[in-house]
Amino acid sequence: MGATNIKQENFEAINKNASIAVEALDVDYTYGSGSAQRQVLTGNNFTLNASEIVVMTGPSGSGKTTLLTLIGALRAIQGGSIQVLGQSLSGLSSKQRQQLRKNIGFIFQDHNLFESMTARQTLALAMQLFRDRYTTDDKINRPLEMLETLGLGERIESQPGNLSTGQKQRVAIGRALINNPKLILADEPTAALDKGSGQKVMELLRLRAEKDQASILIVTHDQRILEFADRIIEMMDGRIINATC
Amino acid sequence: MPLLGTGTRILLFHKWRFTVASCAIAVAVTIMFTEMGFFFGILDSQTNITGLVNGDLVVMHRTRTHLNKWDSLERIRLQQIQALPGVKEVLPIYSGGIALTNPKTGKTTRIIGFAFPPDSMPLKLGQTDIAIRQLKQSHTVLFDRESRSIYGDIKTGQQIELDGIQYRVGGFISMGPNIINDGAVVMSDGNWFRDRRSNKPIMGIIRLKNKSNTHQIKEKIHEIFNRELLVFTPDDLRQRELHYTIKAAPIGIIFGIGMLAGLVIGISICYQVLFTTISDNTRQFATLKAIGFSNFYLLKIILEQAILLSFFGFFIGFFITSQIYDIIGTQTALIMQLTSARSIFILLLTCIMCVLAGLIAMRKVIRMEPAELF
Repeated sequence: MGATNIKQENFEAINKNASIAVEALDVDYTYGSGSAQRQVLTGNNFTLNASEIVVMTGPSGSGKTTLLTLIGALRAIQGGSIQVLGQSLSGLSSKQRQQLRKNIGFIFQDHNLFESMTARQTLALAMQLFRDRYTTDDKINRPLEMLETLGLGERIESQPGNLSTGQKQRVAIGRALINNPKLILADEPTAALDKGSGQKVMELLRLRAEKDQASILIVTHDQRILEFADRIIEMMDGRIINATC
Repeated sequence: MPLLGTGTRILLFHKWRFTVASCAIAVAVTIMFTEMGFFFGILDSQTNITGLVNGDLVVMHRTRTHLNKWDSLERIRLQQIQALPGVKEVLPIYSGGIALTNPKTGKTTRIIGFAFPPDSMPLKLGQTDIAIRQLKQSHTVLFDRESRSIYGDIKTGQQIELDGIQYRVGGFISMGPNIINDGAVVMSDGNWFRDRRSNKPIMGIIRLKNKSNTHQIKEKIHEIFNRELLVFTPDDLRQRELHYTIKAAPIGIIFGIGMLAGLVIGISICYQVLFTTISDNTRQFATLKAIGFSNFYLLKIILEQAILLSFFGFFIGFFITSQIYDIIGTQTALIMQLTSARSIFILLLTCIMCVLAGLIAMRKVIRMEPAELF
């Protein structure tokens, strides 16, 4: 990929004809109220296309995580508009945002796995989000297939206490991918991983983007994974200041 | 389909903690069972005699407001009732307090005496034919084997002193004490009249002819004698005694508060357990919310844990209670019964208790902000 500096106002020109997973226009966000009010996002415009991996980077407090949570329908929009997978997030109730999130795969910095559940049970639990979609065979075989793909074929019945950090994160990725989401949001997915494990995680995500046309947005400080990005977006003081292909 | 739900897996992961929690809930269950046991034990003991009535109706003087009041009625009233159409026979029962002296120990204690014509058997006392024959003998009594141990070890053939008069124990019957009377002896009406002043019965047991309408005859007796007598079916009499006992003595409030205390303790314990489980898995629950699980789904996980705790706590408490009931029953002779209906009632209370705790604990899950995971 060649690195070209793209100005913020030219976002709409990029890949205009490709299907768009996320479109954010003039997004603002403020924490707190009254004298304690703090603006963390100001007038942000952002587009994420199908099959695209976008890495969002920037110093702590730059607003990237807040933007990620807004796109992920984890917070209600205050200013501007965001469309996710064809659905506008404006005016959605808490229940409607929860329904929308089923279609998004979330990868957190910490795996947040239940200690009492095996890798297979963890993935089977995630499949409960779309219980009616799966046959009985799917419910049995799909977690096994996913774990095999993730290189955890021999750890299917292992609980987190018997898995390494990298293995736990791969289980968490399996949880995020098991329902074939078209949008994947990841927050520092490789922060706790060594180079080899981090590489594996990114290769999996690349495969998902290419094979299943999933759109992936990654917030990270990890320089090691920038090579996997189709675009790199830099944020500072609540604004997108730079976008690089 | 998985054999165990998510809530069960989370709870059973810490086996020792789960065992302790179940035992703690069992304490609350035992408290509720014991309070209820005392309540019904007292009621059952007070109304025990109504279940022993060997007849269709019972007649008493209207001033006899409860069964531990010894107001008697005129014998002629029983004869008049016997003359009514449909009535086969009316059997008198005489009763009163007697001072029993155990000659071996020299100890004198109060006991209730019952007397009736030996062949009439107005009460179902489990006596044998041999015992009935013994009853016909002079200065011979049958002793209630379920009397409290304060009377000492009474044996067949033993001499005991009743109001200063020597009697021989000819055998045993089964009646049971209550909270006022510690035991009973039964004798023939002949022995009763000879050694006591009063020949007025305290109640009459009415037996009807075949195909007589119990309700109609009851109404007829009431119509003729209502200024002086009251007439009941054995069930009516039991209900009246229950109501009197609950109203006259505050046992309902006392033991009700005890049960409520058990319930509150159980809710607190179960809430603490569930709250701790949620706290230990805060990020995990928040993750489930983040990826799209609804509060209702998470509530089902919590309630699954609550129900599991309630069942385990109940069965442990049930076992402990059975041992406690045995001990109390043996020591006090109160009728302590673990009936199916009472057990199911406590099981339901236990489930409600734990479900309430789960609903309260659920507030922590509802307040979780999945955005804080980032």
